[in-house]
Amino acid sequence: MESNNPGATTNRSVRNVLLETLLVGVVGALVAFASNALSPRGLKLTRNYSPGGALAASRSVGGASATNGLAAAQLLDTQFRGEGLQLATSNQVAELFAEAQQSAGVIFVDARDDEHYQAGHIPGAYQLDHYHPENYLAVVLPACQGAVNIVVYCKGGSCEDSEQTAIFLRDAGVPKDRLLVYAGGFDEWSTTRLPIETGQRNSGQRREPPSATSGNSGVAK
Amino acid sequence: MNPDITTLAVPPPAPVRNWLDYAGVASRWILGVLFVYLGLSKALHPEAFLKLVRQYDFTTNSLVLNSIAAGLPWFEVFCGLLLLVGVAVRGSALLLLLMLVPFTLVVLKRALAISDLQHIALCAVKFDCGCGAGEVFICRKLAENSLLMVLSCWLLAGFGRRLSARFDLTRPRKDC
Repeated sequence: MESNNPGATTNRSVRNVLLETLLVGVVGALVAFASNALSPRGLKLTRNYSPGGALAASRSVGGASATNGLAAAQLLDTQFRGEGLQLATSNQVAELFAEAQQSAGVIFVDARDDEHYQAGHIPGAYQLDHYHPENYLAVVLPACQGAVNIVVYCKGGSCEDSEQTAIFLRDAGVPKDRLLVYAGGFDEWSTTRLPIETGQRNSGQRREPPSATSGNSGVAK
Repeated sequence: MNPDITTLAVPPPAPVRNWLDYAGVASRWILGVLFVYLGLSKALHPEAFLKLVRQYDFTTNSLVLNSIAAGLPWFEVFCGLLLLVGVAVRGSALLLLLMLVPFTLVVLKRALAISDLQHIALCAVKFDCGCGAGEVFICRKLAENSLLMVLSCWLLAGFGRRLSARFDLTRPRKDC
């Protein structure tokens, strides 16, 4: 029964909207979490996807502070050491890459997702997307346990996946003194005229940067 | 037909009311399509969205962060679909408003922090705010969000009833 009192009608209308909001909110939340659970790309709610949270935060700040890059790099290096990890410079990475071509003692681990890995990675690098480790660990873990140096990288810049993957490997039993994080990442690698492999690991499909005419001499400082 | 308009002291004349309602339908569809699209773009890459949510540093609790990254995109899709078909429109619009207001504030806060850190003007700040559209200039994002809030308020005021399946969920159906 409708009331003729405008105030009462407005109150009822407001109450109805709030009730509807509550209803949509509850049903929406149930649908949302059910969709996540059913989605093959869904997240596991109880898993900690950011084991190196403090490091990631500092990387994020460091990435934003382009004007104070040196101080940010030093801060990052100190904090990495606190976690028992080491940062690798681009010179070190280039030397380790040359060594990796001759011995199985050095391996590279790409911490990015499938799409980015397939589009291009450091030749011979294993893939370990720590958001879906179950897909990669059976191959990567034995390789890491047999290696002397493991260089972990992601995109570079403010990307935090390399340190999180390094921490993940450390927690999985890989000795931390063998783990090196290449903070410059794939962005730096691909701009320093070093070779790039596309597709699967050891696919043989190499993509040389267009300006690569003088080998590996273009490694950044 | 529209109880909210009839409760106004001076209800607008019928042609104006029709125009306002058609504008409401357009608002409903714009918001619906946009939220379905933005929601799906995040829902299909939840780990990328999780990284962006983490950058706001409002909590380190992984359960809270995972719940936001896993649930919010699908929730946006749900609300967007309700608006598109015209079900529980005002409830959905209020929920969108409740998401848009705090989200816009945290984006502004982060943009101000970056502007301060990099010594650049606020409108020169560009980053991926987790909106589902990649990197955007922040002034543009704030303007877009303000427009979306206006459209949500429009629906909340009771416009956009035409072509809706069940505008009010809590009101008995009188027109069938």
